[in-house]
Amino acid sequence: MKNITYLMVFIFLTVMSSCKNSSENNTGNTETAQEKKRSESLPEMSIYHLPSHWTNQNGETVELKDLQGKVVVMVMIYTTCKAACPRLVADMRNIEKQIPEDKKENVLYVFVSIDPETDTPEKLKVFAKENQMDNEKWLFLRGTENDTREFAAVLAVNYKEISPMDFSHSNIISVFDQQGEMVHQQEGLGVDNVETVEAIIKMADKG
Amino acid sequence: MKVNIKNKVVTKMLLGLGAVAFLSGCINDQSDKKYNDTVEIPVNQEMMAELTAPPFVPTPVGKRMAKKLIVDLEIQEREGEMTNGVKYIYWTFGGTVPGSFIRTRVGDEVEFHLKNHPDNKLPHNIDLHSVNGPGGGAEASFVAPGHEKVFSFKVLNPGLYVYHCATAPVGMHIANGMYGLILVEPEGGLPPVDKEYYIMQGDFYTEGEYGARGLQPFDMQKAINEKADYVVFNGHVGALTGDNAMTANVGEKIRLFVGNGGPNLVSSFHVIGEIFDKVHVEGGDLINTNVQTTLIPAGGAAIVEFRVDVPGSYILVDHSVFRAFNKGALAMFKVNGEEDKRIFSGEIRDDIYLPEGSVIQSMPTSGTSKPKEEMKAVSFEERMKFGKDKYMATCAACHQPDGKGIESAFPPLANSDYLNADVNRAIDIILHGKTGEITVNGKKYNSVMTAQALSDEEVTNVLTYVYNSWGNSKKEVTPEMVQAVRNK
Amino acid sequence: MKYYSTALFVILSFFCELTAQNDKMVLVKGGIYQPLYGAADQSVEVDPFLMDVYPVTNADYLNFVAQYPQWKKSNVKTLFADKSYLANWTDDGSYPGLANAPVTNISWFAAKKYCECQGKRLPTMDEWEFAAMANEKLQDARTLETYNQYILNWYETPKTFRNPIGETFKNYWGIYDLHGLVWEWTLDFNSVLISGESRKDSDKDSNLFCGSASIGASDLMNYAAFMRYAFRGSMKARYSSQNLGFRCAKNVDN
Repeated sequence: MKNITYLMVFIFLTVMSSCKNSSENNTGNTETAQEKKRSESLPEMSIYHLPSHWTNQNGETVELKDLQGKVVVMVMIYTTCKAACPRLVADMRNIEKQIPEDKKENVLYVFVSIDPETDTPEKLKVFAKENQMDNEKWLFLRGTENDTREFAAVLAVNYKEISPMDFSHSNIISVFDQQGEMVHQQEGLGVDNVETVEAIIKMADKG
Repeated sequence: MKVNIKNKVVTKMLLGLGAVAFLSGCINDQSDKKYNDTVEIPVNQEMMAELTAPPFVPTPVGKRMAKKLIVDLEIQEREGEMTNGVKYIYWTFGGTVPGSFIRTRVGDEVEFHLKNHPDNKLPHNIDLHSVNGPGGGAEASFVAPGHEKVFSFKVLNPGLYVYHCATAPVGMHIANGMYGLILVEPEGGLPPVDKEYYIMQGDFYTEGEYGARGLQPFDMQKAINEKADYVVFNGHVGALTGDNAMTANVGEKIRLFVGNGGPNLVSSFHVIGEIFDKVHVEGGDLINTNVQTTLIPAGGAAIVEFRVDVPGSYILVDHSVFRAFNKGALAMFKVNGEEDKRIFSGEIRDDIYLPEGSVIQSMPTSGTSKPKEEMKAVSFEERMKFGKDKYMATCAACHQPDGKGIESAFPPLANSDYLNADVNRAIDIILHGKTGEITVNGKKYNSVMTAQALSDEEVTNVLTYVYNSWGNSKKEVTPEMVQAVRNK
Repeated sequence: MKYYSTALFVILSFFCELTAQNDKMVLVKGGIYQPLYGAADQSVEVDPFLMDVYPVTNADYLNFVAQYPQWKKSNVKTLFADKSYLANWTDDGSYPGLANAPVTNISWFAAKKYCECQGKRLPTMDEWEFAAMANEKLQDARTLETYNQYILNWYETPKTFRNPIGETFKNYWGIYDLHGLVWEWTLDFNSVLISGESRKDSDKDSNLFCGSASIGASDLMNYAAFMRYAFRGSMKARYSSQNLGFRCAKNVDN
């Protein structure tokens, strides 16, 4: 099937490079000393250990570790989703509203697409505009199929393609601290987000 | 919900109580305070829950206050013995079937630690019927091998509740033994009794038929058809008979916590020769008195209480009685003490009574095809071994593991004049059953033994074992002798 | 210096090629099949792929950690493996049990990386399921009672993870041990959407998942496979388990 072929291609493209990366990390000559130091000081559970590269809604390349230093609120969606995702977007907006003005700057809201094949940067841009989220506070990311699967694994988000452009997925909003350590997860749609908001505020205070 | 219905009653009580309290001054001791909503009962202090393996139960809660109760339960997939010579892989809560008994009181906040042993192959979870919440905790407790899940709940409704695994395929997890009981005692505890025991019925489905030797795998098709090979109390045949029998003394008040794990069958729970003074119907608040047989649904429970007045052995059965005598649903209660002729006389007189047309029961033989090749014993030692296993699986429930029988119910095979007098009669009784009065070692018995669906080889083994045990005549029995009687 | 380390890498790779115990792969021709658990009434097409004949062994994995020390028990980041990772290994360089027993207590991240470092990848769940439908003779034996009973019996056999590879049956494709030895990771194990509350999972709760109405078991009788999905559903990528190993796959046009 077409999708599987795509998957294969993505995998093929990433397979060789990702292993080489880590073997070179091993000998320590691709990273600058400074970068290496920074990554060593990260806590073990930091998601910034993931070496993946992403594209944002503006077509710019983003490395996950570029997000370091902010409290990150993250959710996985896909733009053609009609059921749960609009609700998840609303939940994210709702959470953002409850963060006090003086802390808003310390928090970044990230949507990661689980359908990178469909969700091109252009599509993400349109989606951001439709939802009035086209500013620096909101980040929309798209990666390779392989990195997306790996990232979902870290977030404990499960998803499955049901048919082209239709996915089943778990509805989980995750909060990460400035170092990329997960500090809170809320699961479900339209759930009481008091604890999530509290976690964000507490973390934003630290930064 | 039950709490709501009860609230009204409790509120009325409270009005009355309030007036009393007003007159008698302030009641501020927590243990005396009544809450019209059990959610409001405060907890103080933490405590590890005492868990017990069946048939024992933890110490009653008595007057203790509500606490944070930590329950630490480990799931083990392990091999056990269904009956002599028959192995089965049980999936267990706490290493036993049924799982460990959990005892709580209303208002307790239970912090549940569910551990899945690293050697286990499968993920599991737990659904406690005493939980108010989605799935009874099933989703919150879904735990991979080598992991531990923690969740907590407040027990709001008093009663006796079943817990079980609810991981796909649920039926198989339950059929392999993943069930147990959790008791929620009311404020102040249940009234004290002399002895308490924990019994749980379950049905099992194996590839081989009842008694077929070796490690028997679970048979899904039989489970779907609800054709149980074993129906047992506490996980295996003989878990509560012979040396494992429950005990009490004359005059004692007994309380049994009886559950039914299923997965399929409903139990008609009965104690032969006793009347339940009190039954908490379905484990709830409703109390019925003077009950002979109480129905326990799959996934349900009952608390039964009775006083034992006369010494002797009392047999507990599922009164769907073929399950008791042919599938293992039999347990035993041994009561010691002085006889009381006012309550039970024993036999007084024996008169002749000969109605017409008394028919000996027989098992249907057509339709039950047994094409499977059976293992033939090649030596006397093997014959004794197979015979013993078959005896333990088929005969011991009534005639007892030591062959001594039960007076006035099941005649003895040990040192038995009746047995030793005529080997062909013995063969005939096994093959065709026996009804009516016989005298064995000077005592009269008048009962029914059904025909046993055993092969010639099996009859030979069993009789070889019986004749060569317990001081019997060491008579030689051969398959040819059995065949001769069968063809008569 | 750089030249030197590149050379070292090449030598190491060469070494790896030589010492890999069981890098034998066979072709699985692919085709259309109906997965047990997924979209109802929707068949899935699986493209041809190569699959390892055997699961990865203890000896194989020891070679791997020697080459990539960041995956040693003492070095691995907790993001990628919880503390049950290689739980039975007494130290970084020795394992208990047989050299040719399947390596278990491996996290998904580690399994994925291992395969990538062999120039391979983990099989997708569809690929794994497709290959595992076979018995000795048939490409799809799932309706046979013997096939299902074999798997169910394995569930009830303790400690099979200690057995050596290659002792179960060789299936239609020439692959061993898909059933009867250990569970195996798949690339998209986390596409299983079950909550562990199986009675709810069969409910069509549209609140929980997008498109959940179309998710369900297509054949409830296939209990053997049902448990495999339940197992996957209980795992997270950091988890590892005594009874869980892996093998690799590869694209054909590679």
